[in-house]
Order: sequence, then structure tokens, then C-alpha cells
Amino acid sequence: MNPADNQIYIIIFSTLFLGGLMSTFIVAMVFIHRQRQAQSRQKMDQMRAEFEKTIRNIENEIHQETLTQVGRELHDNIGQLLSLAKLSLNSSKPEKQTEGREYLNQIIKEVRALSKTLNLDWVESVSLDDFIRQQLEKLQSTGFCETALKSDGAFLKLSKDQKLVLIRVIQECLNNAIKHAQPGRIDIRIAKNNEARRIEIRDDGVGFDPSQASQGSGMSNLTKRMETIGGKFNLTSKLGKATHITLELPF
Amino acid sequence: MVAFDISLLLGTYFFIKLPKEKKANSTYWLPFLILGHFVLYQNFGAYTNYNFEFKKAVNAYLGNTENPKFNLWLFNITERQILTVLYLFLIKSWLDPFRKKYINWMISTFVILTLILQISGIELMYSEQPIIFAIGANMILIACGLYFIRLITNEKYLESNPLRLLSFWTTTFLLFNYSLTYIYSVSLLYLYKENPTLGKSLSQIGQGMDIINVAVLVLLICSPFLTKLFDREPLYESSR
Repeated sequence: MNPADNQIYIIIFSTLFLGGLMSTFIVAMVFIHRQRQAQSRQKMDQMRAEFEKTIRNIENEIHQETLTQVGRELHDNIGQLLSLAKLSLNSSKPEKQTEGREYLNQIIKEVRALSKTLNLDWVESVSLDDFIRQQLEKLQSTGFCETALKSDGAFLKLSKDQKLVLIRVIQECLNNAIKHAQPGRIDIRIAKNNEARRIEIRDDGVGFDPSQASQGSGMSNLTKRMETIGGKFNLTSKLGKATHITLELPF
Repeated sequence: MVAFDISLLLGTYFFIKLPKEKKANSTYWLPFLILGHFVLYQNFGAYTNYNFEFKKAVNAYLGNTENPKFNLWLFNITERQILTVLYLFLIKSWLDPFRKKYINWMISTFVILTLILQISGIELMYSEQPIIFAIGANMILIACGLYFIRLITNEKYLESNPLRLLSFWTTTFLLFNYSLTYIYSVSLLYLYKENPTLGKSLSQIGQGMDIINVAVLVLLICSPFLTKLFDREPLYESSR
């Protein structure tokens, strides 16, 4: 065969080969893209399902907490008032009768207030600042410890899911402080800077060593919950010293 | 040639119709620049074929007295050098900042090597430039590869349908253009000496790919008016 003919055939073959190679490459890229798109969608669906599950769990926990509170209020407060009202109304003295009617009015007020808390829609109507204020006032009124709240209104604008998660996390932090820290004072500070908004919860209790693995999954649970709304949970503490918790949420 | 001129008219019309902020976006003015450059040098090439004296004078100035009929000097500067750099800029506009720096390095390297090869006389401006073409073509192919890697790894690209992205089609046709014309371009003079018929046939592949590339450039310019056919580029906001 003529060497020039060989080279011509090589040129033709090389051109066809390169064309075939590029076609295969393009088809492979589109195929890989479709595959990864499906994987990415599956991952997003999983994350969405997990997020919804977390929110449902939080709603259930808030409901449980509310029912426990209502049960306690019914037993400790309203139950006692009903007994006093019964005693007063059974008496023949007119001043006791008047006292009994006053007790009944008080009972009606307390029952109405309790029935409002049974409806979870209070989360939508109350601001985070008001919720924290109510919790701290309740705590302080029992004489357990001193409390203080300082806020610049950084968390006034929140979606319902973000508010639910933050309410639950703050409730847990306060419950943990009450259960384990024996604080004399709990301070909560709400502030924002250019990058993010923060809630700082400080107590002057006994502290603990965070590096010691605990049997419960409390802290990792709180961290995960903050992450579902794009936030961060940070805790610093030392044995014998104060505990400082920071909840951070970007804008 | 007429097809190229019509495409430039269409491209100019749609570019003028674009709103001001879109005109300032490289997603639209870069394809328009490439289209204008391509059509103008094609017309200039036709002119040099018409005005033989002018072509002869330029060849003589560059030192080519053997083949005064050639206008390879125009083809080398405008298509193999400037157009390669413009296409690299176009592909760069679709990449993330991390990969953009690779394109910057490629452009700088290509320009420096081209100047060195031409000034040193290794590749004459009026003759075939297989080395410069090969370097440029390889860089275009690597840049296309970077785009496709982005297509299968970036979250925003994974959410979109690539068949509805003009960047996908442009990169695909560029890939085909430079790979199908690779062998023909590096063996241009050999083919015309040994087998001009085959040379002419293979050159038609290049001409066909040129028409497709020009059509895609026009589509890139008028993409805001074709929202039913094509989606907005996933990285549109970051290319402002």
C-alpha cells in the first residue's frame, strides 16, 4: 500500500475516532448528571423528611410539656381553689359566701388561661422574647433563682418552625440548668451582629465537664435541632464554674 | 458567508433589544463579541481573496513571497489565536471562581507561548501553525472538560436540566468542533498537497461546525426571549 494512502486512512480514522470519543463522552456526562441529580433529590427528600420529623417531635414534646404543666396547675392551684371555694360556699356566714364567689371567679380565670395554653397556636401569637420572659418570670416567682433578660429584638422575625425549635431548645436548656446546675442566677441575652443573631444563656451554677460522655443524648439532640434550622449550638462549662450556652442563627 | 452575515444582524438586533443590565452581563456581551469577531474576520477573509494585491502586500510584509495567494496569516491570528482566547473566556464565565483561575492560567500560557513561537520563527504567521493550534485546541478541550466536571458536581447544575442549558450545548459543539477538526487542522498543508479532495471534504466539517457555533452564539444572545426553550444559567447571578 502507498504510504501516502496509509496516512490518509489514518487521518480519516483518527477524525472518526475522535468524533466517536466525544459523542461517548457527552452521552456519559448526561447520564452521570441524571444519576447524580436523582441521588441529590433523594438526599434532599430524606433531609426534608428528617426535618419534618424533628418538627413533629418538637410539637409533640411541647404538647406533652404543656399537658404536664396543665396537670400540675389543675392539681396544685385549681384543685386547692375548688376545695377552698367548696368550704366557703358550704358556710352559712355571708362573708364566707362572698369569699367563695371570689374563689369561683379566680378559678374561672385560671381555667380560661389554662385552656389557651392547650392550643399550640400560642406559639404563633407569642414572640420569642415574650416566651423567654414568661419562662424566667415563672422561674423567679417560685424563688428558685434570680433571672434577667436583655434583648435587642433580634429574634422578632422568625418562621414558625424556627420559633418551635428555639422554644424547645431554650426550654431544655432551662430545665437542664434547674435539674443539674443549682444556679443562683440565670441570665439570658439576645443580640445580633452583621453576620448572625445569638441567644446566650448563662448560669452561675456548679458547671460540669462537657468532655465527659453522658449517658443521655441531650446535648447532641440540641445541636442537631439547631442544625435543622441552619443554626448552631455551643456550650462551654467547667466543673465548679458557670455554664454558658450560645444559640446562633444566621439571618 | 451569507448565513454568517444574517446571524450577525440577528445577534445585533437581539443584543440591542436586551435591557441595560443584561447588556452589561458577560453572559450576553461576550457571545455578541465572539459573533462579531467571527463574522468580521470571515468577511475580511473574503475581501482578501477579492483584493489580491492587498493579500500579496501583507504576505510580503510578513516575509512570505513564495505563496502570495495564502491568507493563512488572517486565519491564524483571528481564528486560531484570538477566537481560542475568546472561547476560553466564554467557558470561564460558566465556571466557579475556583476553576476560573485554571482558565486564567491557560489563557496567559497560550498568549505567551503563541508570541514566543511566532517571534522565534518556529511557527510563521503566514504558514501552517500546527503547534499553536494543538495548544489552543487542547486548552479548549480541557476547559470543556472543566465545565462538564462542574455540570456533574455542582449543586446548582445538578438541579437543572442540562439539555435546557445553552452553556451545555455551546460547550458540546465546541468540543465537537475542536476534536473533529483537530487532525485536519494540524495536517492542513499536507492534506492540500497530497489529497486536496479529502482536504476540502474535511474542511466542510469545520464549516458545518462554524455554522452551528454561530447559531448557538445567536441563541446565547437572545436566550432571555426564549425562556420556554432554555433555562437561565445556574450561575447567572455570580457572573455579573
